[in-house]
Amino acid sequence: MMSGRRDVREIIREEPIHRREIQTALTDGGKTVPELAALLGYSSEELVYWVMGMRKYGFLTELPDVTEDGYYRYQVGPRGAI
Amino acid sequence: MEYDTLVIGSGISGMESAIKLGDMGYRVLLVEKEASIGGKMILLSKVFPTLDCASCISTPKMAAAIHHPNVTALTYAEVEKIRKLDGRFQVEVVKHPRFVDEAACTGCQQCETACTVSVPDQFNSDLVARHAAYIPFPQAVPKKAVLERAGTSPCTETCPAGVKAHGYVSLARSGEYEKAFQLVLQSTPLVGTLGRACFAPCESECSRGSLEGPVSIRRIKRYIADDHYDAHRRLQALPEITHTERVAIVGSGPAGLTAAWQLARKGYPVTIFEAEDQAGGALWTIPAYRLPSAVIGQDLDNLRQIGVSIRTNTPVHRIEDLFDQGFSAIVLAVGTTSPVQLLVAGAHASHVDNALHFLKAVKTGVGTRLEGMTVAVVGGGNVAIDSARSALRLGARVVRLISLESREAMPAFSWEVEEAEQEGVFVLNGWGVESIGESELHLMGCDATLDREGRFDPQYDRTRVQSVPADRVIVAAGMRPATEAWQSTLTLAGGGRIAVESESQATSWPGVFAAGDAVSGPTSIAEAAGAGKKAAEAVEAWLSASAFSPGPMRLPRVSQEEVLARQSQYALRPPRGGNKALVLHPHDFTEVEPALTESEVRDNSGRCLDCGVCSECQECVAACPADAIHLDAREERFETTVDSVIIATGFKLFAADRKPLYGFGRFKNVITGMQMDRLLAPTRPYHTVLRPGDGKVPESIAYIMCTGSRDQTVGNPLCSKICCMYSNKQNQLIMGALPLADVTVYDIDMRTTGKGYEEFYVQTRAMGTTFIKGRIAEIVEKDNGNLVVRYEDIDHGGQILEQEHDLVVLAVGVQPNHDVERFFEPGVLEFDDYAYVNEADEILSPGQTNVPGVYVAGTAAGAKDIPESILHAGSAVAQASAYIEGRRLPV
Ligand SMILES: Cc1cc2nc3c(=O)[nH]c(=O)nc-3n(C[C@H](O)[C@H](O)[C@H](O)COP(=O)(O)OP(=O)(O)OC[C@H]3O[C@@H](n4cnc5c(N)ncnc54)[C@H](O)[C@@H]3O)c2cc1C
Ligand code: SF4
Ligand code: SF4
Repeated sequence: MMSGRRDVREIIREEPIHRREIQTALTDGGKTVPELAALLGYSSEELVYWVMGMRKYGFLTELPDVTEDGYYRYQVGPRGAI
Repeated sequence: MEYDTLVIGSGISGMESAIKLGDMGYRVLLVEKEASIGGKMILLSKVFPTLDCASCISTPKMAAAIHHPNVTALTYAEVEKIRKLDGRFQVEVVKHPRFVDEAACTGCQQCETACTVSVPDQFNSDLVARHAAYIPFPQAVPKKAVLERAGTSPCTETCPAGVKAHGYVSLARSGEYEKAFQLVLQSTPLVGTLGRACFAPCESECSRGSLEGPVSIRRIKRYIADDHYDAHRRLQALPEITHTERVAIVGSGPAGLTAAWQLARKGYPVTIFEAEDQAGGALWTIPAYRLPSAVIGQDLDNLRQIGVSIRTNTPVHRIEDLFDQGFSAIVLAVGTTSPVQLLVAGAHASHVDNALHFLKAVKTGVGTRLEGMTVAVVGGGNVAIDSARSALRLGARVVRLISLESREAMPAFSWEVEEAEQEGVFVLNGWGVESIGESELHLMGCDATLDREGRFDPQYDRTRVQSVPADRVIVAAGMRPATEAWQSTLTLAGGGRIAVESESQATSWPGVFAAGDAVSGPTSIAEAAGAGKKAAEAVEAWLSASAFSPGPMRLPRVSQEEVLARQSQYALRPPRGGNKALVLHPHDFTEVEPALTESEVRDNSGRCLDCGVCSECQECVAACPADAIHLDAREERFETTVDSVIIATGFKLFAADRKPLYGFGRFKNVITGMQMDRLLAPTRPYHTVLRPGDGKVPESIAYIMCTGSRDQTVGNPLCSKICCMYSNKQNQLIMGALPLADVTVYDIDMRTTGKGYEEFYVQTRAMGTTFIKGRIAEIVEKDNGNLVVRYEDIDHGGQILEQEHDLVVLAVGVQPNHDVERFFEPGVLEFDDYAYVNEADEILSPGQTNVPGVYVAGTAAGAKDIPESILHAGSAVAQASAYIEGRRLPV
């Protein structure tokens, strides 16, 4: 049934169940996608879908500066912690 | 309403056609299948070669099209069929329901923000989520929300109690447990009870069942009930009494409680009359290891909180007494409280009990222990199983269950029988009771229980006999309603059941309704609750002297095939959550099924496939300040007649996974040209250009040209004409957005056939893009997500070289949109060899098809860029106008 990457529809569908843990992981400061991936044990690719979905609906927002490795950091967005 | 011209598709070609014809005074019907007009152009970043902002130049056209006095623009609509009739065209149009009142919707997006279902956003090429309630994109015209609803989800459709199962699962997925609780309350107050003791027909139908097992829908409900009750939350927004008519409910089982609940919520003063000393009816016969008494109490408290008066120890013998007391309507929900007796010798002995009495005594704590006894339970249904398992818990040494039916034909659920056996119950199938002795049961063989017509008619084999020891006998041989007292005043059906009019639940006595097992015979909590809800609706209609119409019809159920086809693959995730704790000879009535933990609830609800897409969680309804959401909207169909038709249905993009060599779909940092245009657009899915694999700002970007074009291996020898130029455009925009990035283009040659296009290409080179004439041999993904491109360097002797990039963009080309093929009967409209609409005389009459009066505009006829599409639309317009005028001239 499954080879390699998961279906995008499946990844996106699951975003709501990860909102709280992603926000919680950001309480001690903004994090990049790979930092979140290392902390939470999910793949960076799936986290991009979740982070961008959360960003779109105000749960997260990006910090202005890019890290030396070329990543942005994200923090809890205007909608506040859930 | 009749129109001069039908324009199908509202991309730049369709809009241009509609506006020009409208300007010329023709009445135009513009039909667009998406929820906004604008086509692909509105989704682009900028346009080559001027680098004008695409939305800045598109939006005035969109506004002109939608507001034009001569143009009627229908969005979220499709043309079903076109037939030529007397030189004109008869058109069938279907307008899909948006479930949003377009006049009331202000485009505030509150519904979208509140929605609990996330799906890929097709307007962002699936790079990010959108919600089931959505506004297509920020510049959408009309800027009105739409709810994506594929139908009713199987779980919701199956629930006999009318609970929006998918809705509460999706709320639980978002951690909104209290809202989930409130959603179940819309159907019934028995949230905790159903969370434990429902037989969960929803799970049998759950689409996930065909993967690795259904979503644990019932146990999620148990969690949300416990979450509410454990926090001692009170109900909010209690209903006020707004009606003077009082309603009496007779009986307080699930049907009566739910009828009372629904009527009280509508503002009726409701009194429940219950013969027993506790409300709950048959719930008090469900053993505590399945349904703890405290949970019944918690559910009952919901009714008390909204002001339902419950009078226990108050049997109703005469219905007229209730009318005399001033009640205006009555619901009889008296269940099946009379046990069916065994007609055998010894049936009335003191050691023989009926199951209902036995179970109730056990549950309410007045039952006696059965320490060391040998117990025989007579019956093969769920009540017999409950009795047998309860007897074990009371200390019985041996419990035998004597079933008339064969194992396969037992009315009890097979899993219940298996659980009983695991606990130590012996099941004897195919035996009937011949007589009951003081300490044994005399059995005779039973070969069949039903006659040819399926009626109960046991066939005994008296030559096959045996006796089993039995200190106690519990009879669970069926139940029937205790309606003898009403025999002379109400029409009864077989078995003492109350006869009702099937839709309205009305009995033969005006103002008296009936619901639940008293009408249907023994069913289930959920079915009885559903019947109670229906009776409440009928009472309300009767009291308001309006015709009864059962609640809004649900959308048709979404098929499992349709749901599963939405994904190319599924990651199997067996349901998490502890199994039932079954032990041999259990000693107490502790619940056997453990509660799900919060993490298990999230995990389980995350497995839901969102079958209907919209879950009916009602969050949008609550969030919309304009009260614009109407879930009961339905599609509208109409026919109209037009003089001419312009087909402007545009093109499809090449599906990049059809070129497996390039790794699209397999490699996370391989994207399409359309995705890059979205990343560069002001309304982009991310905050800047990032690679989707890990959110990194890409430093080295490769373009692979002619993906799906000029390629016989995918059946398309044609050049797509736009991808060279859009890639050049993107290269320039990337250098503006990411000044440090390197861009390399692997091409066969650059096709720059338009005014200023070659100069644009030269400019792209001058800005630093590297162009390599190279055929791609292979792309390999590295662990860090980078991509190694192996290519044949044609300009340097064909040597095979490799280069590493952190993002690869496939310049996908144009494909025909096959939608057009179903507008006309097969064979009427001609298509060219590549499946585009055929232009009968492409050179002298561009836009003219083989059908007089039918024209094609833009990319529906083949690859074109925007200026060319607009020109082509102009040609189609001129010809349509000439055709219309020609028909109007006197012969
Ligand atoms: C990545 C990319 C970048 C591009 N950049 C540029 C650029 O910079 N400059 C440029 O000139 N061109 C560019 N193009 C090309 C440009 O997008 C097309 O030339 C243009 O969109 C063609 O317009 P159209 O109206 O023919 O088709 P479309 O834009 O495809 O519009 C067709 C419309 O018909 C609707 N439709 C389809 N089927 C039905 C049906 N059955 N019933 C009702 N409605 C239906 C569709 O929903 C759509 O709204 C680019 C293309 C791509 C893919
Ligand atoms: S997958 Fe979800 S929506 Fe579909 S039937 Fe199961 S619980 Fe309901
Ligand atoms: S426009 Fe360029 S990239 Fe597209 S098919 Fe033609 S040659 Fe290939």
